[in-house]
Amino acid sequence: MEQLLDYAWLVVALPFAAAVLIGAFGKLMPLKGSEIGIAAVFVAWLISLGIGGYTFVNGPIEAVESSLTWAPMGSGFEIQLGQYVDGLTAMMLVLVTTVSLGVQLYSREYMHGEERFTYFFAMLSLFTFSMLVLVVANNTLQAVVGWELVGLCSFLLIGFYWHEKPNQDAANKAFLTTKFADIGLIVGVIVLSAGVAQTGSSTPFDIETTIDAAMGGELSTATIVLGCLMIFLGAVGKSGQMPLHVWLPDAMAGPTPVSALIHAATMVTAGVFLVARLYPVFAQSLVVMNTVAIVGVITLFFAGFVALVQDDIKKVLAYSTVSQLGYMMAALGVGGYTAGIFHLFTHGFFKALLFLGSGSLIHAVHSNNMSDMGGMRKYMPWTFATFIIGSLALAGFPLTAGFFSKDEVLVAAQIWGDAGFTMGTVVFWLGLAGAAVTTFYMARACFLIFFGEHRGVHHAAVPTHDEHADEHTVVEHAVEAEEAEAAAHDHAGAVSSTDGHDVHHGSPHESGWQILVPLVMLAVLSFPVGFAGGFLWDEVGGSTERNFETWTATHDIEETTYPFAAAAEAGAEGGEAEEGHALAGADGEVLAAGALAAEGGEEHGESLHVLHGAPEFHLDVFVYALIAFLVAVGGAWVIYGRGMPARDPTFRLGPVTTLLVNKYYFDDLGYRFVVVPVRDKLSPAASWTSNVVIDGIVKRVGGAAKRLGAVTYTTLDQKVIDGGINGAAFSAAWWSDKLRRIQSGDVQRYAGALLAGTIVLVLVFSAAR
Amino acid sequence: MSAQDVVFVLIAIATGGAALTTVTSKNLVHAALFLAVTLTGIGGVFFVLAADFVALVQLVVYVGAIAVLFLFGLMLTRAPIGREALDSQNRAMGIGISVVLFGVLVTLILQSGSEFAAEASTVGGGGVADIGLAIFSAWVFPFEVASMLLLGALIGAIVLSRRETGESGEETPITAIDVGDPGFEDQPELTTTGRQP
Amino acid sequence: MSPLGPLILAAFLFCVGVYGIIARRNAVLVLMSVELMLNAVNINLVAFNNITHQGDPLVSGQVFALFVIAIAAAEVGVGLAIVLNMFRNRASIDVDDVDLMRW
Repeated sequence: MEQLLDYAWLVVALPFAAAVLIGAFGKLMPLKGSEIGIAAVFVAWLISLGIGGYTFVNGPIEAVESSLTWAPMGSGFEIQLGQYVDGLTAMMLVLVTTVSLGVQLYSREYMHGEERFTYFFAMLSLFTFSMLVLVVANNTLQAVVGWELVGLCSFLLIGFYWHEKPNQDAANKAFLTTKFADIGLIVGVIVLSAGVAQTGSSTPFDIETTIDAAMGGELSTATIVLGCLMIFLGAVGKSGQMPLHVWLPDAMAGPTPVSALIHAATMVTAGVFLVARLYPVFAQSLVVMNTVAIVGVITLFFAGFVALVQDDIKKVLAYSTVSQLGYMMAALGVGGYTAGIFHLFTHGFFKALLFLGSGSLIHAVHSNNMSDMGGMRKYMPWTFATFIIGSLALAGFPLTAGFFSKDEVLVAAQIWGDAGFTMGTVVFWLGLAGAAVTTFYMARACFLIFFGEHRGVHHAAVPTHDEHADEHTVVEHAVEAEEAEAAAHDHAGAVSSTDGHDVHHGSPHESGWQILVPLVMLAVLSFPVGFAGGFLWDEVGGSTERNFETWTATHDIEETTYPFAAAAEAGAEGGEAEEGHALAGADGEVLAAGALAAEGGEEHGESLHVLHGAPEFHLDVFVYALIAFLVAVGGAWVIYGRGMPARDPTFRLGPVTTLLVNKYYFDDLGYRFVVVPVRDKLSPAASWTSNVVIDGIVKRVGGAAKRLGAVTYTTLDQKVIDGGINGAAFSAAWWSDKLRRIQSGDVQRYAGALLAGTIVLVLVFSAAR
Repeated sequence: MSAQDVVFVLIAIATGGAALTTVTSKNLVHAALFLAVTLTGIGGVFFVLAADFVALVQLVVYVGAIAVLFLFGLMLTRAPIGREALDSQNRAMGIGISVVLFGVLVTLILQSGSEFAAEASTVGGGGVADIGLAIFSAWVFPFEVASMLLLGALIGAIVLSRRETGESGEETPITAIDVGDPGFEDQPELTTTGRQP
Repeated sequence: MSPLGPLILAAFLFCVGVYGIIARRNAVLVLMSVELMLNAVNINLVAFNNITHQGDPLVSGQVFALFVIAIAAAEVGVGLAIVLNMFRNRASIDVDDVDLMRW
């Protein structure tokens, strides 16, 4: 079995081969290439299960690393291409291949008759490959490669129905937003590797080396803080954390299977994964940990509320995804390594299930809007059952996957808080509140979709809407229009399929087996994945020696300490952990993480270990969570239990509704403070300054001292005091008229300017030396 | 001044002169021929630097293939002759920038030259055997990638220069690129969803 | 032999290439100038292989030069194909005439 780990690269290579084969021969195949993709990912899935099984059974294993030289850079310095297989990798391999398999099977029916069916499957395989490249990467550079590739696939698939402008806009938005964050990632990788290179390593990008250097205290604090924060910026973009989450809801413009695979289960968790992968490095600095926790908790708390006012089922799920990703980040930020990735794991399954379920509904109703559904449980019993299971899991109903993982996040936060870190308490209470909100909007969604009477699609109600760009105009209207538009284009996507079912035909009907099999598979999986990491694992026959925690923990994680907590530790030498569970109560500020570590408290005395451990059961957390759940479901039942209310109460909250409907004005802010300033302010401002300066010089050279004085006078008096608006506008026009002449279209002049700039740079650098 | 130095200086003068003629010649074919001379001279420089294999590759690929390719390119495009026709209005800019650049580069070389002049080169090493071993062991992956690149360039060149229809000199009709997507116009459903185009 | 000679020759060839790129109108001549610049880089690579990587078993400098030659060959092929296409469409290969990308 162990040799299997050496063949992890096969899991990566198979989808790549499939992508190439589908691209080349897909159209010639009887099933249009889908069979290649499914077969490849099926084999990859089997191998992943083998790897997952081995790593699970053998507890925390020493990472199996192998690599080949990608490029020797001379002087022993080289860039590698490799694999790094440990429990975390194995967990991600299982998650990615399972969801990918389900989604590809599902897409066979969902995308049936689609013009670019083959292309779609090639892209799915390519995406799976890219994600796996990122997952198995043994060095950060390779991770960046995988990271950018998934970004590309995401872009291509969001824009799958590219012939409609909103979809193009959504794809561009996703690409640009994440690309902005990727700058941070690359800078972070370079900063960390530069720090590692100074320790004399010949492979500074190597993850293992980086972790060792960080744990050995060989990296300076500045390197760690800057590097980690920059990498975290990348994670913020990719994992849809506030304020860079704006692309994720728009990304729902892609086909629903894509939303399930990329924007719920796998790609958006890449940021969480990377933070977990480099966790020993992140754990070196309290600043970094607090940043992660704060961003996470803000995201989890605020994103949930936006889901309350959405009518588009996919948007509800999208905001829910944002919020759940916030949970993961917050868990990592409060020391809950296991809790964070456990939530990643379970969330991947049940959120994919929910998306696929919503796809099944959309397929049947031809609308994304919950106001067009209603009473669906009569028509689609299988979808109903699986969707309810997914919702319960997301809401954290006891004994479902989400229950265990969310519980662990809260427990981790509580322990962190009890150890004297305020962040832990904040995460705990906001997390609890967030859980109630989650339950409420999922209950609302379920009641609106499955109960009451079938309302059907009302096409007359769909307002026409011209441009995506005026999203930031009038509140209510814009939202209605946007939803209608979202509905319209997914709808159009469904309709454009050549099997040409007409829109207004009778009542909706259940989807075919190819859609239902993945649904049932994921629904069934929503239970065991939770038990594996939950505190009931013992009761159902598992062992504390073999659970999710021992699976994903690595030796590095077990040895990682929190240096920033060491000071507190030193002052409290007496506070040995009494035994397995409680915190060292005598000295409240000591984090008795050793008590949580699987090995018990023996090394507690010398160091503070990263929070990971056998799952615990905190009765108070359980009770709180249950109360939150019941209250939320009850509330939702009162409001939505008898079908769609005439006027949704969430829309009757005055300014709050306005705020939520506008998604906290994030898009608006982005438009107003990024797009507009760059367009309207920055360039004129720059040109205004330049204009004054250059004007002055010109005049001086001309010897017209008087006119110079006049210009200075108008500058100071008219432009500064009188408000520079007129002057700015005028000079912007003047300056842009001059500037545009540079764009002569003469490439040789461009080349000359380029070289002249290079010369200047060389001179500057040699002077600086 | 060793014999090697003398040989190098002679080759360098010939090469530099030929290069200058290449970019100043009024006759296109002369320019191409002087380019061939320059490339040969550079091959000679490689010989002097004891890089025999690179020198031979230089002769075979550059002088044998690329220079001839350039001649074909000139003949196929029937370019006019004369300074006005060959030099653009950016000539002054070109002279200025290249002179300044040369000055900067030489200054930098002479400055940093003192750093490695001490460990002056006893030329040698890098015979064909060494290069072969290196390419097919350490560099084998880039080597394969380079072969893919050449294949891509080959296909690209064919696609670009393939004549779709018509005789020489005729206008090639512009054909839309078929990317296998449903076109806008044959999708009446889009308009029925009530959205403006 | 002094290591500076080849470096200065390379700098000279590079600058000649720069001049050619900026000042020549004919696209084929521009391509030739690009070749000059690439060759200047090759001289540098081989020279530095002798200066700083003496006895390097990977012969990095020379191997790099070989790769540059291979890629230059590809570049000339595609470049001339583009020039041919341009000639076919516009009956001219003057770089000055291709100024669609302007205000």
